[in-house]
Amino acid sequence: MTEELSIALQNKLLEANIEGKILNLVPLTGGASKEIWKFEVQDTDEIKQYILRKGSGIEGPLAIKTSDEALLQQEVKKINAPVPEIVAVSSLDEELGDSYIMKFVEGESIPRKVLRDNEYKDALPLLAFQCGESIAKIHEVEVNNLHYLQEKTPMDQLNELYSTYESFNQPSPMFEYTYLWLKDQDFGDIKASLVHGDFRLGNIIVSNSGLESIIDWELAHIGNPLQDLGWICGNSWRFGQNEKVVGGFGDLEDLLKGYNSISKFKVNENLVRTWQVFGTFRWGVICLIQAAAHLNGSVNSIEKAAIGRRVSETEIDIADLLFLGGK
Amino acid sequence: MIFDKPNSVDLLEAISHFLNTKIKSEVPAHLAFKIRIIENVLNIVIREIEKGDKLSNEVMTQLQSLIETDEPTIEALALLIKDEKIDLEDQDLKKLLVTLSKNKIAVDNPNYSTFKKLIE
Repeated sequence: MTEELSIALQNKLLEANIEGKILNLVPLTGGASKEIWKFEVQDTDEIKQYILRKGSGIEGPLAIKTSDEALLQQEVKKINAPVPEIVAVSSLDEELGDSYIMKFVEGESIPRKVLRDNEYKDALPLLAFQCGESIAKIHEVEVNNLHYLQEKTPMDQLNELYSTYESFNQPSPMFEYTYLWLKDQDFGDIKASLVHGDFRLGNIIVSNSGLESIIDWELAHIGNPLQDLGWICGNSWRFGQNEKVVGGFGDLEDLLKGYNSISKFKVNENLVRTWQVFGTFRWGVICLIQAAAHLNGSVNSIEKAAIGRRVSETEIDIADLLFLGGK
Repeated sequence: MIFDKPNSVDLLEAISHFLNTKIKSEVPAHLAFKIRIIENVLNIVIREIEKGDKLSNEVMTQLQSLIETDEPTIEALALLIKDEKIDLEDQDLKKLLVTLSKNKIAVDNPNYSTFKKLIE
């Protein structure tokens, strides 16, 4: 299998005038939905590192095609937001399938390593501000060029999440309550923009000087930009560092300072909190979607099966936020 | 139960131990990552066998006094909330939702930060 993939990679890279032997092709532990491979290409005297990101061709209900992720990353690159450089894009009917190849970015994406390793100790205090800045930059991308992305208002999204939850026929009192609560909230009257949709540790590459690159654009869409701020504050993405509201590493104040230093729309903490509940509910429904793919037999995957039992993490987080004064 | 020892928990623990001590160090990183997931899954099953009944019963007792039917179900409560046939500001409802969430996570992931914070 690795050999076939090697040949397909070599052929694809030739289209981008990158010629050389494929070396050290290894799968990386990525998300549950995409294959990620790292490899090297040996030119006459130089070795360069690349990443292949490959989808199955079957997207979950909220995800975009992998090849569209590549188009989007190229668009974001134009406004100087930090994203890896794309070198080749392949569509589903090509040898390489729905995928793209990008330059490898030095740094760490595994959340627990970023939070624990000594190497990133000096980067962590800077990260919340940097994330705020980068999120604000993403929100300035010209959306008229992004015809492959769906536009969704907060209510569209909320109803989409709710009907997805309902379709799995596993009634949750906590989710019913959350849906009613969210329907009543003010999400902020703000112009629709590009939303990354999954901005958090795991989907950013961090070096010892901080944020290097934003990856994993599969949940991107056009909508209320504040979603990205609420999402990274969800406890699901604090990786055990409960007291650090932003991604397990920073404070909300710093995230908003970074965001407001670039964004024309100034954001306050209350709005972020509503979006935090929204994000936690959204992650809960995504867990349901992943588990359903295993349960309905479309894939047999231990990761997807296991994620069904993470829905309860989002329920306890929402209970904490709504009833117990959680942050 | 009519079955001999080892019981189901003993058997699952034996699998978990084997994977952890004999297999994890022998496989490449991406498979070692999957073995960690498998261990987590085995531990969920073990906790559900050991504590599942007690944790469910505790919720059902609270639920019974809240909605006053002989055979309350989680589905029935979900429907009452959905149709707003129960006061969403009712403190007992909120208390029940907290117990339900806590007791589920107690099996699914007792190391989860919010759970640890709430039982301190």
